[in-house]
Amino acid sequence: MPNPESHRLSAVEMAQRIEAGSLTAEAVVQSCLDRIREREPVVRAWAHIAGDEALAAARAASRDSLMKGVPFGIKDIFDTADMPTGYGSPIYTGCRPSFQASAATLPRAAGGVLLGKTVTTEFANRHPGPTANPHNPGFTPGGSSSGSAAAVADFMVPLAIGTQTGGSVIRPAAYCGVVGFKPSFNMFAPAGMHSNTETLDTIGIMARSVADIALFRAAIMAIPYEPPAVPDRPPRLALTRTPHWDKATPDGKAALEEAAGRLRAAGAEIVESELPNSCTHVSEVQNRHSYFEAPRNHAPERYRHEAQLSLALRHGRIEGGQKLTLDEFRTAWREAETMRAAAQNWAGGFDAILTLPAPGQAPKTLASTGDAIFNGLWTLLHMPCLTIPAGTGPDGLPVGVQLVGKRHADARLLDIGLWVESRLEAR
Amino acid sequence: MADTNRLSAAEAVARLSSGALTAEQLTRDCLDRVEERASVKAWTYLDPDYALAQARAADRAGRPGLLAGLPIGVKDVIDTFDMPTQHGSPIYQGNRPFADAACVALTRMAGGTILGKSVTTEFANRFPGATVNPHNPAHTPGGSSSGSAAGVADFQVPLGFGTQTGGSTIRPAAFCGVVGYKPSFGEFSRVGIKLQCQNLDTLGLICRSLDDIALMRAVLIEMPHRKVERAAAAPCIGLCRTPLWDAADGPTQALIERTAAELSAAGARVTEVEFAAPFRDIHKHHRSIFNYEAAHNYAYEHRERRAQVSAVLLETVLDPGRDLPLAAYIEALETAEAFRAHLDDLFAEVDILLTPSAAGEAPAGYDSTGNPAFNSTWTLAWTPCVTLPEGNGPGGLPLGVQLVGQRFADEALLDAAAWVEAHLN
Repeated sequence: MPNPESHRLSAVEMAQRIEAGSLTAEAVVQSCLDRIREREPVVRAWAHIAGDEALAAARAASRDSLMKGVPFGIKDIFDTADMPTGYGSPIYTGCRPSFQASAATLPRAAGGVLLGKTVTTEFANRHPGPTANPHNPGFTPGGSSSGSAAAVADFMVPLAIGTQTGGSVIRPAAYCGVVGFKPSFNMFAPAGMHSNTETLDTIGIMARSVADIALFRAAIMAIPYEPPAVPDRPPRLALTRTPHWDKATPDGKAALEEAAGRLRAAGAEIVESELPNSCTHVSEVQNRHSYFEAPRNHAPERYRHEAQLSLALRHGRIEGGQKLTLDEFRTAWREAETMRAAAQNWAGGFDAILTLPAPGQAPKTLASTGDAIFNGLWTLLHMPCLTIPAGTGPDGLPVGVQLVGKRHADARLLDIGLWVESRLEAR
Repeated sequence: MADTNRLSAAEAVARLSSGALTAEQLTRDCLDRVEERASVKAWTYLDPDYALAQARAADRAGRPGLLAGLPIGVKDVIDTFDMPTQHGSPIYQGNRPFADAACVALTRMAGGTILGKSVTTEFANRFPGATVNPHNPAHTPGGSSSGSAAGVADFQVPLGFGTQTGGSTIRPAAFCGVVGYKPSFGEFSRVGIKLQCQNLDTLGLICRSLDDIALMRAVLIEMPHRKVERAAAAPCIGLCRTPLWDAADGPTQALIERTAAELSAAGARVTEVEFAAPFRDIHKHHRSIFNYEAAHNYAYEHRERRAQVSAVLLETVLDPGRDLPLAAYIEALETAEAFRAHLDDLFAEVDILLTPSAAGEAPAGYDSTGNPAFNSTWTLAWTPCVTLPEGNGPGGLPLGVQLVGQRFADEALLDAAAWVEAHLN
């Protein structure tokens, strides 16, 4: 009955074994806590670990629930009433909100056990936290959802929640070699998520398989759970290099080309296609939204705690945003709407878009979380994104591919993702 | 000068800045009025000593900034670090947030002070608070921004923050006979405002002058103060009865038609505007988005604190929203997008729309804060809206007319509203 390695199971396997009675939720949580104790000094994925509370919740979890006591982690940008909430900022260290974010409440209501809060960069922005890449601690795990990606990759927890305003779910998931999913904008209820950029902030999830993403998505949306199903025929995929292809590293480019080749060999129709011309400056429009909102959204910290804001944030987005005019913001908003309509029309010609989740493998530094250049465009377009591991780069760190779907066709993207995952795994 | 509490925000700021008035005197006049008129019950938290301390600090600092020591009221779904924030709910009794909301911090950074927290219905929704209509205490002030509307109408404070997810700024402003403003969606930060519906929630302003709106826009967007242009040409006005016209009572229908005729006579070109057929039931899509998003954003209260949530919120919003299929929510989102594009087309022909602010005057009693039918469509549309007081209903309570502008044309709406205001009888 005790399985010391149960922390390595997928979430779906955990739930199945708990339901069958061959494993208890408490044993799973204990196994995860043991793994955290062993590895946390190196990986530093957690801002707060609620071990005793999680064990108690696991013992109380209903086997009739969807998640049956399977544990999850949540980025410390979400409010929790029973755990400290620090937003990755010294200003908020030790804060205890009176509210619990919907992203924590709904999985708990579905029988999930909240293990703790994972490390975020400062306000889900650029200034990094202490987390290291579990594959090699000299490399960044990516950010801003650094702790969630590293914890899932390191088998500390099977499921974790992040947020993406530029590339903060897909990029760290790819850098850490896990599956990351950013749904269509606004599909996961944002209450209790500290705002970075209201027009862009999107809650996302990480797991070690597409099937686990589907389970967790159902829990967090409180919708009926349907496992993803491989499509009847191999998909038609757009191979999209984006306007930023020159920012990709050789290993990133090679990973995408190689993955496209393998999917083609497996029967997929691969069509080279780029975003419509109206979208060529999509990343600039994305940036303008973030910059305009930054000084206004951070007014509470500017007013009372300015010295405790990182220089990167003060001299970056906050001062940059103060230079933008209202007309520039309004134009960006209108352009974004035009781009979304054009991209939706274009994406309708394919089952999914196959593109890069990051320029390449994780950079060898802990001072930066890498470049979000291959993510911000899809965040602005509000389209669902899924990154799937696709081998390793030159230093043995993971590289991934990214699939992008039509807006509001999220379940379909997971079906396509299941097919792609199975073909990329079968080496 | 006595009774400085009757000044508009812009008038008060002019005197504060010139040194003709101290923040302490203005705040004292407001506090005297609050005390004298405690029966209005506009405030859920107000500490006179603390309000005066803020005012004296502003005076000592030389009354800097665009607001120069002006006191404002903050709806109690908006976080304040130095006052409780209780959301009109027993769940949050005594709740003290760590940080200000962005709009509160921006107000303080512009030299404003916070007089107190104004009454909200439970979670800016339907279950009413204690506030009464200052024109007749047997009538509702409207909601959910009940306290801000009543407090401003009763000269207890020059300006108050409201929020609008359905009709919670424009309707109470109209019921209380003051000016209400809902900006284009996306322009005012919502950080620190209790999130109800991410696609609908909009920070609004309640005040007694259009000039106050222009002033507060500058504060909240941190842009240069662009004053209302009062010499603008007559606007082209679309009379928009909306598909819900029959929900308006006779006096309100007559008011809107009479207003259209008067403005036409005064030189405005007035045309009739109708929604295209696919959007005649757009208010139903608002309801779907409202219920779905509220049920998921209030998951904590709905699922873990259910016994402390009102029956009306559970039965009319949270339970139906939880049970609404995802496909219906997505259909509503996509219809709303198409509706916004349709309105952009309509605004190619007109500068502003003229439409009711509410179905009638404030109803008697307190069980309901009134019908948001004439507001929720525009909240979904993300268009800027202004309500101006105009006349009284059969019960002697105020009526209002609502002017709607094109999205991101808030300045043009304020200019046109000034023209309308100048040409109303």
